[in-house]
Amino acid sequence: MSTNGTEMVKDAIYQACLNLDEKNWDEWLGQCDDDFEYSVTAYSPEIGKDMKYLFLSHKELKEYFELLPKHNTDHSPLRRHATVYSVAVDDNAKTAEAVTSFLITQEMFDGVNAPLDTGENHLFVVGKYLDKFSIANGEAVFTEREARIHTRRLDKGSHWVL
Amino acid sequence: MRATIYACERGDEMPARNREQWEKKPDLKLGEWVDSRIYSDEEIFEEELAKIWKKAWVPLMHESELPEPFDFRTAIIAREPIIVVRGPDKKIRAFLNVCPHRGMAIDRRPAGSFLEGEPSGNPKHMTCMFHGWQFDMKGNCVEIPREKAGYQGRVTKEGQGMRRLRCETRFGGIVWVCLDDKIDCDVEGWAAGCLDCIRDSLDEEPLEIFHYHKAIIDCNYKLWHDTNSEFYHDYMHYHNRITGFDDGYFARKCAAFDNGHVNVGTFTVNYGEYEVAGDRGELTFPHLPPNNWYMVDMFPGININLRGSAVRMDLMTPLSANKVMIEFRGLGLKSDTEEIRERRIHHHNTIWGPFGRNLHEDLVGVAGQGVTMMPKSDTRRILHGRHEGLYIHDEVGMRHFYDTWGKWMDRRPSNPDKKYKEGVVVGPEMPPAKGITAFPGRAAAE
Repeated sequence: MSTNGTEMVKDAIYQACLNLDEKNWDEWLGQCDDDFEYSVTAYSPEIGKDMKYLFLSHKELKEYFELLPKHNTDHSPLRRHATVYSVAVDDNAKTAEAVTSFLITQEMFDGVNAPLDTGENHLFVVGKYLDKFSIANGEAVFTEREARIHTRRLDKGSHWVL
Repeated sequence: MRATIYACERGDEMPARNREQWEKKPDLKLGEWVDSRIYSDEEIFEEELAKIWKKAWVPLMHESELPEPFDFRTAIIAREPIIVVRGPDKKIRAFLNVCPHRGMAIDRRPAGSFLEGEPSGNPKHMTCMFHGWQFDMKGNCVEIPREKAGYQGRVTKEGQGMRRLRCETRFGGIVWVCLDDKIDCDVEGWAAGCLDCIRDSLDEEPLEIFHYHKAIIDCNYKLWHDTNSEFYHDYMHYHNRITGFDDGYFARKCAAFDNGHVNVGTFTVNYGEYEVAGDRGELTFPHLPPNNWYMVDMFPGININLRGSAVRMDLMTPLSANKVMIEFRGLGLKSDTEEIRERRIHHHNTIWGPFGRNLHEDLVGVAGQGVTMMPKSDTRRILHGRHEGLYIHDEVGMRHFYDTWGKWMDRRPSNPDKKYKEGVVVGPEMPPAKGITAFPGRAAAE
């Protein structure tokens, strides 16, 4: 386990990607503060506005995930390819911010024509994670995440967070 | 001579249907089912573009997408590229986005402003970058570089204006365009009263768009419209089952209008029953009781929901027999504070956003229909036979739509190889909408 703030932040971001890839929702929320806020945002040049496609608190996310089995979902896995571009740790090493570029691909499974499409990967969204952390006890905990995407064509969309 | 008759041919030893049984006409009245070729046949699709989409009033956007003079927005109707501009007189006009010189798309962007000049042209003009021809916001050609040198008076600016289209801004600021100059009604006449249930809410004060995203789905555009026309598919939505499915829900009634439109009356949604959603009663729309929900489906493929605290508008661009682009818009009030707008966005997007609860399920559903009704797939019978006295799970929305479709196409929805025939198709049995004469449906057997 790293004692370096920057490395702790990077570890947290990449671990979050692994957790989200595997839909380990509880583990991912376990990386987040109780006051964690999550949003998916985008700028639309079509309408000239910043948009919020989703924004949920930690509590709402927990309820969101608990209700997932009750919804009909396209189960095509989403997988992240992320690169942490920058980490800024404040002087007292108690908080940090990071910018991470990501691509999320979708491995076709049951959302379209399964016999033809399974096994193919499509690019689903492109964006940047804008994350904020608190750092304590040797780990970085998410206090806020904005998944700012550069995609407005989202086809079927998803029930899963990005 | 074959000695063996297989069990599948006898049809009496297999639990599901054999081919003959599967393809047999349903034991329903005409109008209560359609032939799947209306969703999959490429020739029919081309006819729909020519006979319907190029002839009807089509809503393309909301006026708040081009708020300032010289703002513009581009769109497509039936493969024709359209540009909609707001002039210095603040009036919104629509044109084919086609340069009369050599057919280049005059502007290539989804939206923007002509206030600043382009590399090849002047401020406040539409400029075709290819050869520098320029047009004003009324579509007049105002510049042809080296006009006299090249054309010697044979081609002049005066004769090279853009193709202007019928365009109206109506019902809460929706921008409607028609490719047919000779359409015999305005948008008010076209709507035929179907939007009256939400007119006051839409028109009380200016609306503003807060949400946009799009989907391109491999299915026929009418399948998306069907889904928006019926509520029986609420069985798919845990959210709707939990917040609805009470006496109020089942008391919602459908009403049909001339030109193929339908609306569905309101009820009070129990948002508080669904975690994450929360009660929304503190925020509504003018003239809409808290947590209420009206839906309007317009021919040939428009859905407008006024639900709780937001307007949702689905506008479609059919791309092929098996492909459609759907643009999803959310609207609030222009006067909203930042805080109120955030709440409307949250309400809208937890259900209808790309990561919301319901929209994803709806799209998975129609994508699945697209899989089974690809071009040249075998014919299937699609049932539209639910009758429930026009209450919420009645499929009158689809029966009414396809009867109208049959007239426009001069094809019978249950057998598109046959011509439409007045009186043969079963019309919906319903009370006449206010101000509209009764729909001429008569039961008939083939």
